[in-house]
Amino acid sequence: MKIFSESHKTVFVVDHCPYMAESCRQHVEFDMLVKNRTQGIIPLAPISKSLWTCSVESSMEYCRIMYDIFPFKKLVNFIVSDSGAHVLNSWTQEDQNLQELMAALAAVGPPNPRADPECCSILHGLVAAVETLCKITEYQHEARTLLMENAERVGNRGRIICITNAKSDSHVRMLEDCVQETIHEHNKLAANSDHLMQIQKCELVLIHTYAVGEDSLVSDRPKKEEEQHANTSANYDVELLHHKDAHVDFLKSGDTHIGGSSREGSFKETITLKWCTPRTNNIELHYCTGAYRISPVDVNSRPSSCLTNFLLNGRSVLLEQPRKSGSKVISHMLSSHGGEIFLHVLSSSRSILEDPPSISEGCGGRVTDYRITDFGEFMRENRLTPFLDPRYKIDGSLEIPLERAKDQLEKHTRYWPMIISQTTIFNMQAVVPLASVIVKESLTEEDVLNCQKTIYNLVDMERKNDPLPISTVGTRGKGPKRDEQYRIMWNELETLVRAHINNSEKHQRVLECLMACRSKPPEEEERKKRGRKREDKEDKSEKAVKDYEQEKSWQDSERLKGILERGKEELAEAEIIKDSPDSPEPPNKKPLVEMDETPPIEKSKGPVSLLSLWSNRINTANSRKHQEFAGRLNSVNNRAELYQHLKEENGMETTENGKASRQ
Amino acid sequence: MDDYDKTCLESALVGVCNIVQQEWGGAIPCQVVLVTDGCLGIGRGSLRHSLATHSQRGESNRFPLPFPFPSKLYIMCMANLEELQSTDSLDCLERLIDLNNGEGQIFTIDGPLCLKNVQSMFGKLIDLAYTPFHAVLKCGHLTADVQVFPRPEPFVVDEEIDPIPKVINTDLEIVGFIDIADISSPPVLSRHLVLPIALNKEGDEVGTGITDDNEDENSANQIAGKIPNFCVLLHGSLKVEGMVAIVQLGPEWHGMLYSQADSKKKSNLMMSLFEPGPEPLPWLGKMAQLGPISDAKENPYGEDDNKSPFPLQPKNKRSYAQNVTVWIKPSGLQTDVQKILRNARKLPEKTQTFYKELNRLRKAALAFGFLDLLKGVADMLERECTLLPDTAHPDAAFQLTHAAQQLKLASTGTSEYAGYEHNITPLHTDFSGSSTERM
Repeated sequence: MKIFSESHKTVFVVDHCPYMAESCRQHVEFDMLVKNRTQGIIPLAPISKSLWTCSVESSMEYCRIMYDIFPFKKLVNFIVSDSGAHVLNSWTQEDQNLQELMAALAAVGPPNPRADPECCSILHGLVAAVETLCKITEYQHEARTLLMENAERVGNRGRIICITNAKSDSHVRMLEDCVQETIHEHNKLAANSDHLMQIQKCELVLIHTYAVGEDSLVSDRPKKEEEQHANTSANYDVELLHHKDAHVDFLKSGDTHIGGSSREGSFKETITLKWCTPRTNNIELHYCTGAYRISPVDVNSRPSSCLTNFLLNGRSVLLEQPRKSGSKVISHMLSSHGGEIFLHVLSSSRSILEDPPSISEGCGGRVTDYRITDFGEFMRENRLTPFLDPRYKIDGSLEIPLERAKDQLEKHTRYWPMIISQTTIFNMQAVVPLASVIVKESLTEEDVLNCQKTIYNLVDMERKNDPLPISTVGTRGKGPKRDEQYRIMWNELETLVRAHINNSEKHQRVLECLMACRSKPPEEEERKKRGRKREDKEDKSEKAVKDYEQEKSWQDSERLKGILERGKEELAEAEIIKDSPDSPEPPNKKPLVEMDETPPIEKSKGPVSLLSLWSNRINTANSRKHQEFAGRLNSVNNRAELYQHLKEENGMETTENGKASRQ
Repeated sequence: MDDYDKTCLESALVGVCNIVQQEWGGAIPCQVVLVTDGCLGIGRGSLRHSLATHSQRGESNRFPLPFPFPSKLYIMCMANLEELQSTDSLDCLERLIDLNNGEGQIFTIDGPLCLKNVQSMFGKLIDLAYTPFHAVLKCGHLTADVQVFPRPEPFVVDEEIDPIPKVINTDLEIVGFIDIADISSPPVLSRHLVLPIALNKEGDEVGTGITDDNEDENSANQIAGKIPNFCVLLHGSLKVEGMVAIVQLGPEWHGMLYSQADSKKKSNLMMSLFEPGPEPLPWLGKMAQLGPISDAKENPYGEDDNKSPFPLQPKNKRSYAQNVTVWIKPSGLQTDVQKILRNARKLPEKTQTFYKELNRLRKAALAFGFLDLLKGVADMLERECTLLPDTAHPDAAFQLTHAAQQLKLASTGTSEYAGYEHNITPLHTDFSGSSTERM
């Protein structure tokens, strides 16, 4: 493929001399309705178009089709020639639309039949056309800038379509010679200029117009093909134009019924495709090997507008292609995207990926507790959206939205266990308010508050001895004890928060709150545990972190380790104990805050007995029948302090539930 | 393919050509391995004869090279270089590669013809053409080692500006996610299976996790199957959510990952490659301009997930969506004139539509320099005025006369009346106040 082929630049040069004002001598009936209404009224006389009107209509039709099929990178420059050249537009993309051209043509108006023909010449237009072909387009400029020292690779070719009335063969030759000579001259000029480019190749299409006979103005349409697709009855054929590559497979296969070689054959080849009832919806992902914009040949005809409106309303049409063998195969799909209709080429040949092994048979295929729903949520949060207006970073440089998207993915995956049994916190509804905001680049005061609330809530849960969704997969027997469960949960939460402390100072505050609140086992218990065997102690969340680190590329893991290391140092400074079997025993182990008098919880004695199950149920049922005594609700270990208000009134602090001493 | 009892390379290549095209069409790359002893046959049908008559072929007996599909032709010669060079065999075989646009290579035996040397020759072919493509699939910190199958082919974007073929990165980095309905069957260059693989410390592949029936419990594959893998997680969620992951393959080159179901039970993680470039899919816009929804003022997908920022609307509407005027066929012109006439007979109810259609016709006629039409339609409106029934609203006559007059003025072509941007507006009459029709 070449972007800068001849079709990148097309110059229309239309003759505006007095001769073009003559009638084309083909009559158009325009007064049609009168016939079937009123008897005895003579319809108005038919009118006829001038040669100029025919020329302008045809060139506008060419532009209409081209702008439909190739709205970018194929540009038109329109020149009208009489006693001078009138250049109606430029190569800029804004000038490339029908409205602009129509307005400019209206300003020129039809040729004046009484002007002096001697003063007028198509040569003015042709010279201007060569001049304009030397002018660099936005696309050429962009490509040259991008290629820098290889700028010479950017080609400059073009096509001049000249509509005029040629007087003789020698007149035609004179026009050709003139164009050639002008190119030669302008190339010399362009050689010494930064804004001009030499013309490497120029295709000259001369269209001779004259009255009477057949209208010879139907422009040839290079590089385009037509396609019909019939809706059972031939009456409803809609002829569409599109890039020829949409049928590349068909043409290569030699399975054509058009006859003749596809290479040297006429450009205008029609392939008939049949509408088949759409069995498709938008949610299906077709294997599509190409998509090309279309344009109806007869844009305003009823069948055409019927089809295009159907498609513009969001429906799709599958098309069948008959084969030489008589069989049919779905080969194309018509579908609109954002008000543009595309012909999608669907692959209809045998797949090279037949009978591949299922993903469940491969690596990780035997694992059954992936966090599929959570990752689905993650994907929805990391969906993309277009940012059309440029944004700037604080340092003034341009911000690339896609890089922001990558940054976000990096943040959101710093701690992301893949399976349910590797995590506790992500199985807890109570952690969601924290987990959903901590990954953000920056936090609001409200976010911090919510994180703190989440942490307090967890403290509360621990005090109430609520059960945690700790996985018992792979562990023998009863699984970890309740306090051990909370230790695991706090460790995991710490890992999550710690992965984000460098995002902002507010993230740091969340960690501080977490470290201040989280439970730690009493010293003796810690020592006792250290005596025990390691493997018994290794908890799930730590394992998860390790797995996750192993899976990452080394830079990432190094970076994360750095964060953890730094975290550890900071902790050591603050004399806070990192509750991990790997961290060395701090010399002077003293909790920073003295709130955590671990409540003398009922030691869980193995699996829940039938009796306790039953009494729990009865208690719950009973509790629904009456309002709970406020004192019991706020009690700690079933002990409620009475007459609290007296203490408050006396300005004394209550330290009973630990909350007051915390802040 | 029929058997032949003599060396006839052309027939063999024609056979290959037909089979590949019938089965896979013209777009799938195919490697053709020709194993030969280096003898080219004798007489008609020999390679020498084929090449000598190469320039005299018609469409019916086209020489099979170049293959009409992307291809590599590997010629494995069961002979060493010296033997081949003693005749013109090597030259003829090299011609074959040239005829295939240089796509392919000739392999010869190093040293004497023996099993070991033949094995080593084929080993070279395997290294060149059949090495698996290993990559690392990344989504932030979540990663997986994968094999991409078939090997992604290098791609030339523009043979003139950028003739160096682009190859995809071995780091496949996910940049975000998009709903299947939004990406809507995009055109792709090729599609590939993304298979998670288990690598040992040296980076060698130890297994794909796919187990044979007779494998024991603790084989590498069995173990690999039980280790959580990001590909499986990603595949599961893409399938459930009906989404695709957009993956960066290189500078300005992207693709998508999605779940592809082979049958009800079997499904796989697949990757399709978009054409390289800043904007492979017009309805998504420029890839670099896609960013995270959290950067938007409000969620473009809506709080209830009921809308979407896609597809992007192009700046200019296409002709079929903007009510263009085309009069190349008389029927186009007649339809437009009839529309005006129909509305003229329903004045004053249809005043707005009448003037809208009238102005559309006026604009086109001025652009096409078709001033006679303006005069003709003016005459027609004047005649309609005379044909108005007694019961007609008095405003109808005023509007028709006014419109006819304005068209006549425009048909003079003089600049004060024939301005393209000028619109004929309804005449304000004592009656027109009641006309409240809105478009």
